[in-house]
Amino acid sequence: MKTVIRTILLLLIINSLSFASEYAIISNIKMKELSEAQIKAIYLKKITVVNDISVVPVNLGAMDSLRLKFENKILDMSFERLKSYWTKEHYLGKRPPLSMQSAQSVKAFVKNVEGAVGYVNAEIVDSDVKVLYRWSE
Amino acid sequence: MRYIILAFIFILSLQGDEEYQLGKGTQVGSLPFYVGGYFSLDYKHTDDIDRYRVDDIAILGYGNYEKFSYMAEFEFKEYYVKTYENGVKTTEKDNKLYTERLYLDYNLDENYMFRVGKYNSPIGFWNLLPINVLRETTSNPITSSIIFPKFTTGLGSSYLSYGEGELKIDAILQHNDGIDAEYNNYKIDRHYGFGISYSIDDYTFKLNSGYFNNLTDNRVNEDLYYMLLSAKYESEKYQFLTEVGSQKSKSQYTTDYALYVQGLYRFTEQHIGVIRVESYEQSINPTSDDMLIFGYTYRPLYPIAIKSEYQFHSKSSQNQFLFSFSVLF
Repeated sequence: MKTVIRTILLLLIINSLSFASEYAIISNIKMKELSEAQIKAIYLKKITVVNDISVVPVNLGAMDSLRLKFENKILDMSFERLKSYWTKEHYLGKRPPLSMQSAQSVKAFVKNVEGAVGYVNAEIVDSDVKVLYRWSE
Repeated sequence: MRYIILAFIFILSLQGDEEYQLGKGTQVGSLPFYVGGYFSLDYKHTDDIDRYRVDDIAILGYGNYEKFSYMAEFEFKEYYVKTYENGVKTTEKDNKLYTERLYLDYNLDENYMFRVGKYNSPIGFWNLLPINVLRETTSNPITSSIIFPKFTTGLGSSYLSYGEGELKIDAILQHNDGIDAEYNNYKIDRHYGFGISYSIDDYTFKLNSGYFNNLTDNRVNEDLYYMLLSAKYESEKYQFLTEVGSQKSKSQYTTDYALYVQGLYRFTEQHIGVIRVESYEQSINPTSDDMLIFGYTYRPLYPIAIKSEYQFHSKSSQNQFLFSFSVLF
């Protein structure tokens, strides 16, 4: 009986892992390696230059579910807290990142613009872009 | 001339590429130039005084190009003040447009930034976001106005590093007259200071120290030294903020201490409660006070703040009620 229960539990775990979505933070291939903290700082516009190049963080649309996951996981900030953050940054002379409507647009932008950083579903990543960080849910 | 430039910018901003959002400013045409502004109205009531004030009307302009970024802020301060004191009415107007900030930044790399111009002295937390709409109470804690110069005109630089947390070091250097020097809590022509801050998770700790010379007309001491310790905890619901500082001349403490501890609770994103305790003691022109402040802020949208507060002072004749309406656009 114990063996049956263990097998069922194992199958359940494997099943849940196989359905876990994986996401990637990508950059132009010329970008150097960046830590999670540095990626956060780039998206909050605390870091604006890396390797002598202006960095260009790119967001998905405001209501995109992947954007909300990125903001919760990497920025560790809620939608409301980010809104107040960017209002304060307006007084300090900083703008929020650009927004794009689809992951394909983000990938194409990152591929073609030196200094660009974005996040997409890992399944669309290829060798045209560099993966800086991966996470799954 | 300033007014003509402002009108020109306003007309251009109507043709910006981005959709306008309140509290985010707007782009001027397709230039790397954004404009915005803010204003605040407030009311103060004590046993003897009722004061109505159009306090701030300001315009901001900023942008960035490659490694450079810039900021300009011009402001009418106490534009219109009507006071009733023991039944006597007085009205004051100040139509001068002051230069509040005017600087150029050069971002060398991910670690170093250099600045030249007039800027908010990067000391403590309160002085970084000092405008009514962004702070949590209509009043400012006394600590933010008696220990150090609010503005510096000269050079500045910062070093930023990321490991477990975020380390930031600031340097302040003024060795010249200030831009609109009288528009500062201290009139100065020298200010040398440094700051070090460390943030990890929801906590930030900061230490500032420096020297400035006080050229204010009623000065008693010219060479003044200051130190300020600050700490902040911020989560989705709570904010805890404290600053404690001291100031001395070569021979004596001019401000023995000035401190505040402020707690904030967000009932919702729109409704915010604040409690602040303040205390200070100055040896120069001997004064001291202890205060307990209760505040409530309603933000229908984050860039709009409707605030009220009541202050209990150690001398009850100084107890006061404050109300303000402020908008960032």
